[in-house]
Amino acid sequence: MHRQGRQLSLILVRDALIFSSLMIMLSAGLTLTYMTTKVPNFAHGDFATLNIYLNLALVRLLNINPYLGTIPAFMLGGVIALVLYLAVLKPLMDRGANYVILMVATIAYDMILISLINIFADYLNRVHKIITRLFQLKGFDIEIFGQPGLFVIAPILAFVMITLLYFFLNKTKFGIAMRAAIENPSLAEVVGININRMYAISWFISGGLAGAVGALMPLYMTCNPDIGIRLLISIFAASILGGLSNIYGAFVGGAIIGLAEVLGTGYLSMTLGPWVVPYRPVIPLIVMMLTLLIAPRGLAGVNWKKFLRKVG
Amino acid sequence: MALPIPLTFLIDLLTLFGIFAIISMSLNLEFGYTGIPNFGKLLAVAGGAFFVGAVPGRIIAYLFNTPAGSDFIKNNLEVVSSINQVLMNDPTLSICYLLLSLVGAALAGAALGYIASYPGIRLRGDYLAMTLLAIAEVLKIIGDNWEPFIGGSLGVRIPDPFRWVSGEYRPLYVSLTIIGVTAAIFIYLEFVSRSPLGRTLRALRDDELSARVYGKDVDKLRIKALVVGCAIAAIGGALYSFLTASVSARDFNRVTHTFWPWVMVIVGGAGNNLGALVGAGIFVTVRRLITFYKSYFETFLPFDVVWLEYMLLGLALLIVLLYRPEGLIPEKPTKTLKYEYIANKRATRTKPK
Repeated sequence: MHRQGRQLSLILVRDALIFSSLMIMLSAGLTLTYMTTKVPNFAHGDFATLNIYLNLALVRLLNINPYLGTIPAFMLGGVIALVLYLAVLKPLMDRGANYVILMVATIAYDMILISLINIFADYLNRVHKIITRLFQLKGFDIEIFGQPGLFVIAPILAFVMITLLYFFLNKTKFGIAMRAAIENPSLAEVVGININRMYAISWFISGGLAGAVGALMPLYMTCNPDIGIRLLISIFAASILGGLSNIYGAFVGGAIIGLAEVLGTGYLSMTLGPWVVPYRPVIPLIVMMLTLLIAPRGLAGVNWKKFLRKVG
Repeated sequence: MALPIPLTFLIDLLTLFGIFAIISMSLNLEFGYTGIPNFGKLLAVAGGAFFVGAVPGRIIAYLFNTPAGSDFIKNNLEVVSSINQVLMNDPTLSICYLLLSLVGAALAGAALGYIASYPGIRLRGDYLAMTLLAIAEVLKIIGDNWEPFIGGSLGVRIPDPFRWVSGEYRPLYVSLTIIGVTAAIFIYLEFVSRSPLGRTLRALRDDELSARVYGKDVDKLRIKALVVGCAIAAIGGALYSFLTASVSARDFNRVTHTFWPWVMVIVGGAGNNLGALVGAGIFVTVRRLITFYKSYFETFLPFDVVWLEYMLLGLALLIVLLYRPEGLIPEKPTKTLKYEYIANKRATRTKPK
């Protein structure tokens, strides 16, 4: 009994680490686009969902290793994000539309994505006889040291992504130009930085990250076409916790939300019973509301030195 | 005597139109007049419906003690049919039940709106939009999973307040009731939009800073608009449940009850109630036509036609946003007093004594 309990907590910690890694990449992407365009992207969850189905098709129809599927998923995610920016948001911004209209536009785009996802899922199901509702690809995962490959690869991917983004934004000329475009668009334009290109690239990176996460998602959990909204709640919670205006905040926010969701639901279901499992999205919601009440500018907005002095 | 088919079609259309018009007008009050991006419209609509599913039936069952010792959810069918027996022979009670339930639903919706907006209302609208969306989704999850509340995923049947109207005429009567409520709400909102409050709301939508400078309590006004909007939307949700005499969390999702009202308001024209009505009218008619011709497409497409509808609506909304952002019926400038009248007043006032 005791041994079984330990086994369970081990699985729980493993799941939490995987989910945190995925959340870090998702919330970093959302925060990146929020920093550039100043609009929360309501289609971000479905950037991932569309690529869940892309990878399902690649794995089941072409027998591709699911990890290789992250590369086309990155490209597809990047392209759909780029289309949203260039074809919808940019023209609206040029016409001086305010952020509410931009948000509505991302929701409209999300509806188109939902429609595409479901059409694709129906098509795979009816023509190729693949289960596309409530499916998993855990069986296609590779094994590393007796553990599911995702347990090793997802954290590594998240770590590599954080490091790359850090070096990109701080050490390359291009990345510094991007930061300039984010912090002071008009001044950056005066210095000759092409702001539009910078914004477009940040949208591509954001969508690409979401796409890569989407490709890995079926290795981790049961997927369904409507999974995007559940993801979106967690992504928003993580990004708001991180402060929405700081990419490093988004990393921390994503990690905390991922851990809180999986560990919280896991331990509560062990103590209260399995009925708590469906209420999992309540956890990110509570985190989101508490953040807005206590520190609306998120972790990145808290003056930590002052805070520590007060506490210590 | 049976009603002719075109008439039943029209009644059906009017019923749906009424419900969606109520929801879109409530969104218009929040977004069109006040500029609040309520992406959790689902919250209030589902809140109203869930209230009707959970509370009034239980109260009536308690009052009439029918049948003794049975649970409203577990013995749902028996309890509801025995209540329906009572309601069938008592029009007064039925009408009281209907009206009191609507009032209760409005209060529940208002409370939900207040609670949901509390953390984010003082921040920029996008934070509010994100929290409202998340809370709406969580409310749906609770409705879908917590069985003692409204029967979980199976849903719950509720006492039918239109039972006393004989079978054939029930749809007509339901439709008239819904249209009546819609008209009442339309008139109320027209009064609001012409009142000083309506002008203040528009002022804080157009320039929050100026409104603050003139001493308007922007946060309070926003909460007010959101609470009233949620109350109205909850009435819409409650009426929808009475139409089907049942409540199920499965009937409510963010596409049907958040996205569609947004399409209606933006396509019809934000910032005027007529626009919201026109938007709802066009939307309901187009949807009916799509459902009508659906079976024709279904035969040769390898997917469900409903997804094409989503895509069309998404595209339609994007096209309107890009090429006609003011919608079909643009907002008219606020009516002011005639210049001669003001000049006259000024002349009489400054006249030396």
